[in-house]
Amino acid sequence: MIWQQLANGISVGSVYALISLGLTMVYGILRILHVAHAGIYTLGAYVGLLSFRLVDNFWLSLFAGMVGAAVAGYLVERFLYTPILHLSRIAPLIASIGLFTAMEEAFRIVAGPHTLVYNARVGLGDLAIGSFRLTETQVLILLVSFLILLFLWLFLTRSRMGLAMRACALDLETASSFGVNVSAIIAMNFIIGSLMAGAAGVLIGVYDNQVWPTMGSIPAYKALAIVVLGGLGSIPGTVLASIIVGLSETFFIGVLSIPFPRDAVAFIAMILVLMFRPYGLLGKA
Amino acid sequence: MLEARALEVSYGESLALRGVNFTVREGELVTVIGANGAGKSTILRTIMGLVKCRKGEIYFQGENITFTAPHHRARMGISLVPEGRRVFGDLTVVENLRMGAYVKKNRKEIDSAMEEAFHLFPVLRERRRQVGKTLSGGEQQMLAIARSLMSKPRMILMDEVSLGLMPLYVEETFNVIGKLHEQGVTIFLVEQNARKALQAADRGYVLETGEIVMSDTSGNLAADPMIKKAYLGA
Ligand SMILES: Nc1ncnc2c1ncn2[C@@H]1O[C@H](COP(=O)(O)OP(=O)(O)OP(=O)(O)O)[C@@H](O)[C@H]1O
Ligand SMILES: [Mg+2]
Repeated sequence: MIWQQLANGISVGSVYALISLGLTMVYGILRILHVAHAGIYTLGAYVGLLSFRLVDNFWLSLFAGMVGAAVAGYLVERFLYTPILHLSRIAPLIASIGLFTAMEEAFRIVAGPHTLVYNARVGLGDLAIGSFRLTETQVLILLVSFLILLFLWLFLTRSRMGLAMRACALDLETASSFGVNVSAIIAMNFIIGSLMAGAAGVLIGVYDNQVWPTMGSIPAYKALAIVVLGGLGSIPGTVLASIIVGLSETFFIGVLSIPFPRDAVAFIAMILVLMFRPYGLLGKA
Repeated sequence: MLEARALEVSYGESLALRGVNFTVREGELVTVIGANGAGKSTILRTIMGLVKCRKGEIYFQGENITFTAPHHRARMGISLVPEGRRVFGDLTVVENLRMGAYVKKNRKEIDSAMEEAFHLFPVLRERRRQVGKTLSGGEQQMLAIARSLMSKPRMILMDEVSLGLMPLYVEETFNVIGKLHEQGVTIFLVEQNARKALQAADRGYVLETGEIVMSDTSGNLAADPMIKKAYLGA
């Protein structure tokens, strides 16, 4: 029973991590809150669903959703944020909120206001050991997010570009003076963050078996709470906070059956942690 | 090798450099001395491309680099030891050094440059797995110097590199600077320690509120009564 809840909590948490990491990476390098990131997540789900209908292969549709999201994330960086970065910090935030709303309306207009089913056969099968049971989509989520997080970790710690990305998050100017093309690294942050958000969109689309225009609304603010909880800009902090929120939601609602809105858990956790650690779990002053 | 013509730099409305001219020839060690706020750091940052000049031109090896991005200037062989060290706090010593060698792609070259850095400052070898922010101020200063040498720059810009070092290491740092100079690296040095800077340098410029008021060989500058009084405390 406890193992079952643990597995449920971790699979929910790993999707949160996939969504929130892009937000934290963008904040880490540009110090802006990329609210429209949740729109990228929804776009990933739609692109995934559309390509699934075209090619009838889940893995290809996952790939398409990720690539679609990455392209969109890159365009947002280049044509929305970069031109207004020199303005006050509030300008990119307003632009981001505006874009997010516009994206939700665009999805409604293009794909219709109703939910669409994403009924993909993944081909993994359920996993059952005694009374412990993982559904196929849970196995999928755990597998895909584990692989993505592993890649991200290897990339950041082992590659030259990953090193440059970490250096840029610490000190853009000094990194540039050592030969780092800062605008390429900024673009890279958006691309990698959006790849993960696109994957999250597809995974949730398949997990819930539905895709709808405002599916990004709740993740938009929940990811914000998670990122603050983990410590703005901290990648390990964001992963930790995502898992904590995933587990708390599962335990408080699933195990203790507290009559409590599930989506408030992230915020309560955030408030509790900020009371004792104003910079979040692993954040810096 | 480096030539600046009528450089004018402003932060907002206030002018930090008011039409500055200087040259640094290949292999030379040139210093700029001046009071706090005279604009010394601004000169180095402008050469690196970190601040834009609103008038004037900069040439490096005959090429106009006035509008070249900092990362391209780094690839051309300019390297800055920034004021205040600016070590990457969450990166380890080794990672900081790797960042210094970012323009190099050859593994062997990077490894041998790192060996040299450890040879130069043995304490960095002991601390190699420690993250930058956990080093002492002096150790961070050594790391900042070593990091800027990693790319084997043609020209190195040093902004108050001996600041905060104990006398032994100030000596050591100036030894390093002297060695680099002997190896033919072009050095542009900004120092609070004007006495040491003039001892090490071939030539010097005196900067006052954004203007160069004097330019001569270091020997002549060090002997100048006005310089003695204002910068050498004698
Ligand atoms: N980022 C900035 N914004 C506004 N003004 C600045 C900025 N940086 C420097 N200045 C101003 O430009 C002038 C020159 O500064 P600079 O840092 O070049 O002086 P410096 O000679 O290096 O001084 P120090 O010996 O104290 O390091 C100063 O008046 C300073 O206040
Ligand atoms: Mg200075």
